[in-house]
Amino acid sequence: MLRLSQPISWIQKGSGFVVEFTLVSAPPLAGYSERFGTVTLSAPKDLAVVNMAIPLGADAKALKAVKSGYGVDMPDPGTSVETKKGAARLVRLAPDQAFVVFTLPTPDAEEVVAKHVKTALYLTDQTDVWAGLEISGAGSIAALERVCPIDLHPAGFAVGDAARTVMEHLGVLIIRTGEDRYLLLSASSSAGSFLHMLETSIKNVL
Amino acid sequence: MTQADTTLNFVSGDDSSTTPLTIAGQANRVGTGLINPGQKLKFTFNGKQMSGFAGDTLASALLANGQLLVGRSFKYHRPRGILTAGSEEPNALVELRSGAAQEPNTRATVTELFNGLEAKSQNHRGSLNFDLMAATDFASPFLTAGFYYKTFMWPKAFWEKLYEPIIRKAAGLGSLSMKEDPDSYDKGFLHCDLLIIGAGPSGLVAALAAARSGARVILADEDFLPGGRLNAEALEVGGQAGSQWAANAVAELSSMDNVRLMTRTTVYGAYDHGVYGALERCTDHLANSNGKPRQVLWRIYSKRAVLAAGSTERPIAFGNNDRPGIMLAGAVRTYLNRFGVVPGQQMAVFTNNDDGWQTALDLQKAGVELMAVIDSRDVDAPISLPGVRHLRGEGIVNTIGRKGVKAIETTNGVTLPVDAVAVSGGWNPNVHLTCHQRGRPVWREDINAFVPGGVMPVGMTVAGAANGAMTLAAAVAEGQAVADAQLSDLGFKPVAADIPEASDEPSKGAAFWYVKESRTRAWLDQQNDVTVKDVKQSYQEGFRSVEHLKRYTTLGMATDQGKTANIPALAIMSDLTGRPIQDTGTTIFRPPYTPVPIGAFGGRSRGKDFRPTRLTPSHKWAESQGASFVNVGNWLRAEWYTKPGEKGWRDSVDREALATRSSVGICDVTTLGKIDIKGKDAGAFLDKVYSNTFSTLKVGKVRYGLMLREDGICYDDGTTARMDENHYVMTTTTANAVLVYRNLEFARQCLWPGLDVHVISTTDGWAQFAVAGPNARNLLRKVVDEDFDLSNEAFPFMACGKVTVFGGTPARLFRISFSGELAYEIAVPARFGNSMIEGLMKAGEEFDAIPYGTEALGVMRIEKGHCTANELTGQTTAHNIGLGRMVSRKKECIGNVLSQREEMIRDDDVKLVGLRPVDRSLGLIAGSHFITKGDKVNMTNDQGWMTSVAWSPNLGHSIGLGFVKSGDTRMGEILRAVSPVHGKEMDVEIVSAHFVDPEGERLRG
Repeated sequence: MLRLSQPISWIQKGSGFVVEFTLVSAPPLAGYSERFGTVTLSAPKDLAVVNMAIPLGADAKALKAVKSGYGVDMPDPGTSVETKKGAARLVRLAPDQAFVVFTLPTPDAEEVVAKHVKTALYLTDQTDVWAGLEISGAGSIAALERVCPIDLHPAGFAVGDAARTVMEHLGVLIIRTGEDRYLLLSASSSAGSFLHMLETSIKNVL
Repeated sequence: MTQADTTLNFVSGDDSSTTPLTIAGQANRVGTGLINPGQKLKFTFNGKQMSGFAGDTLASALLANGQLLVGRSFKYHRPRGILTAGSEEPNALVELRSGAAQEPNTRATVTELFNGLEAKSQNHRGSLNFDLMAATDFASPFLTAGFYYKTFMWPKAFWEKLYEPIIRKAAGLGSLSMKEDPDSYDKGFLHCDLLIIGAGPSGLVAALAAARSGARVILADEDFLPGGRLNAEALEVGGQAGSQWAANAVAELSSMDNVRLMTRTTVYGAYDHGVYGALERCTDHLANSNGKPRQVLWRIYSKRAVLAAGSTERPIAFGNNDRPGIMLAGAVRTYLNRFGVVPGQQMAVFTNNDDGWQTALDLQKAGVELMAVIDSRDVDAPISLPGVRHLRGEGIVNTIGRKGVKAIETTNGVTLPVDAVAVSGGWNPNVHLTCHQRGRPVWREDINAFVPGGVMPVGMTVAGAANGAMTLAAAVAEGQAVADAQLSDLGFKPVAADIPEASDEPSKGAAFWYVKESRTRAWLDQQNDVTVKDVKQSYQEGFRSVEHLKRYTTLGMATDQGKTANIPALAIMSDLTGRPIQDTGTTIFRPPYTPVPIGAFGGRSRGKDFRPTRLTPSHKWAESQGASFVNVGNWLRAEWYTKPGEKGWRDSVDREALATRSSVGICDVTTLGKIDIKGKDAGAFLDKVYSNTFSTLKVGKVRYGLMLREDGICYDDGTTARMDENHYVMTTTTANAVLVYRNLEFARQCLWPGLDVHVISTTDGWAQFAVAGPNARNLLRKVVDEDFDLSNEAFPFMACGKVTVFGGTPARLFRISFSGELAYEIAVPARFGNSMIEGLMKAGEEFDAIPYGTEALGVMRIEKGHCTANELTGQTTAHNIGLGRMVSRKKECIGNVLSQREEMIRDDDVKLVGLRPVDRSLGLIAGSHFITKGDKVNMTNDQGWMTSVAWSPNLGHSIGLGFVKSGDTRMGEILRAVSPVHGKEMDVEIVSAHFVDPEGERLRG
């Protein structure tokens, strides 16, 4: 468990301070990691997600800012790229929208991305909106076949490719991060169902 | 492929018949075919121990054990045997397994034998051999088609209570265990360039062609042994036994990465855009599924498909043609060549085509005594069978033997003793999947069968027997040609390959459907007990269209969908009406091709896995506080928190509502939709999607907004806060969070693409808590970091801002009130949600702060006269809820034009009002309708309805909200509130909807 906030004295009675309290961070899948035979399922630690939206008519400026801030070109829609600066993955979801996915323990992901791209894009922190699970190892595709409508064959979904889809009624963003490695993001409120869906799929095929 | 051990002889295409095989108990086993004689399997039928071998089906094992009687028929409880060797089987339906795993109506012909299999016959009272219900057979003259419709008309009340239960008990198939299915099921998605349906000769050739070209191939076959008829015949391909050629082809395909070979998989439906449904039976052939899904329902996305589903043999109808031992000739051949089993030792063949002769040939080679080959045609024998009697131009008129055929009588009066009969009435191409998009098959006179025609499913072509290429050589050649064409179409270069040479067997036939000379009942649909007489009666009574014939006689409506019955029956109808068969047509073929268990359609979506569950950020804490949870869409929300000593939910809810109004209460309101809206035109955009104006809202302020549909009806409401010049945060109702977001995206992308605006859901990102009550500010003062001024002057009603809490954690603070109290909503990143409520509660200790659930929230909003979905029903307007003035007419926004239609702004339309019972001790009933005093209770006099009711602990009586015609002008009037459903009515008084603090002093305080 992370202790992020500084303890403060939050009630002043007379001249004294009473009771200390610190907010504790507890993302729904924090610390989860399981191995099922050849397949590993785990929740990446401190996953931060920030949405970047390209202002209308300001594409050139935005793409330039991304290039200079992260050292890579903005990927095409439906693909992602690892950045050269900033240790992040840019995932282009739409012509005017991309996610920056990176690791950050503190709740200031939007500010961190702003340092890279300044004000050239509209930023919205999405970290707590999503829960992430990474599935890897031989058999990952077989497990995903049970829930994922997307064709995961390398010919159709190469390393780096990303797609938004629906699995077991859950909206899911799936990114192929390696030959046998996928990062899946789904709504944090239904993280328990999200985990159950993938665990069931893996157990059903292994 | 299985190999016989040296002590057993093969029964195959060669002529080297040797001494018959003897295996204890398996009197009818004459060879090993493709079974594995090294692996003996034990099973029981009706409790009797029997044995078979790996590679057997239950049907082949039953036949091997001499068990020809396997069930009783649906209506007449006639003894029945095994008719076919495939999924078309109408008769040999059994119950498999026991206890909760018991499964009725399983076709023995496609049930793979395993060690320990338990099978029971079904639909008999008493034993299979002595079925008390067989008495219905003697009453058959009264039980013909239409009997129920005509007989059980009177008295009407008897149908549901008496007749139907009796009939259901008497007629039917297997029984359910009535226990929960212990197995699990799953679903999945597959993708391919070419889907090949059927791994018979044409399917295998097509698959090889496609696989070698590099295409991604799925080859699916319902059988556990791919090869189709190659495994059932003594024919050769490529100079080797057909089964061996098939085994080699399968071995090659299995070694290729671009091929997915799916055995035990039935492609049961062809859907739009090249999508196919398939059922894979994963563990049905095992004694125990070991916790794995028993079956998987696949959705296959194909770019192209080749249907190579083969053909189904049809019987000929003749007197008492349903006796055990009378089988289709092709099935007899399959049992002999694939399983080494014959149904009898003294047989006859009855055929209207050349193919029946092939069975006779194979039987003769196996050493079975052939009493005669009876050919309906007056033609020379197409295959020479020395020593076998050939009855030209004859037919079977009747058979003798109740529990098994003992003798047959021919049209010329010849009686022959037999213990089994092989019947061939020709072959029907399996056109089913070609018709799933309403394609209509076409009659081909030369083969006396329907072939695919009309509109085919997109991307599908047909090869082999399914397309009317009835001989092996033709099927093989067509498999190659069709695959090559599909591959070229997909941009693959077909690899040049020699088409394997295959036998081209005689295949002429005649359109001969039933033996007219028969005096006894001649069965068409053996599963639903439909006879030739029923078809004639249907004709006589005017039910002459095939669709009427089907429904009047129940022809083809059983679990086999009439695969063997439909064509002969419609041919007979065609004879009767004098219309050609093409014009008579078939009934509509619909999915599924063979039965699919409901469990497979459900997949893993059982119990609480039916849908995802969404938890609020403070769920864990709420659980620890004794919260009772309620489903709100997919969310689980705390509805109240039970404290020790509280006897019922009302105690908890009253306490929570009172404590909130007297001091302070906290409620998790995370479920309300949150949408972050950014862009230079965000304000202008909001002006278009809300009925009221937001572009003028000052930074740091919140405004209530009302959304209309295009037709002017209200569909959602909420507050939107301006956090920054180009940044708004919208809230929606819990129920409409997704809908509103979707509509905003549509408006942004399609209606006003020229606006610089971006929307993104942040519902799950922020844990949001309502803090309400006179001590709300005092509590928050302890939570929000000191540098933020929360005084009424600095942060008045409808203020908002970014703050930090508990020493620097970012938060959003809104001064909004649903309860009508001095109230705030405070949001922190969701990861801190559970901790946040603990912090809020701790900070609230000195104020006796309480958490409140959705019920207390509901009580307080009714006390305040706020609307929820009870009032915004999708039929109500801003005018109805008293917010007509919020619909701006000075700007373009969704719904404002149509909201001004004459009928929607009538003064005498219903208006939202408050209601209280005249007798304060009575509880109002939601859904009651209002009637003016003195008027009769009917819809003409309807004055409106009660939308929401609650017990108000603050007022000490029941209160309600409701819509009353011209309600705003009828304050103080007494109406009757009538609930015919409850059989109750009471007098109610129309009052203001604002029961508590009508001037809003508290929330501004």
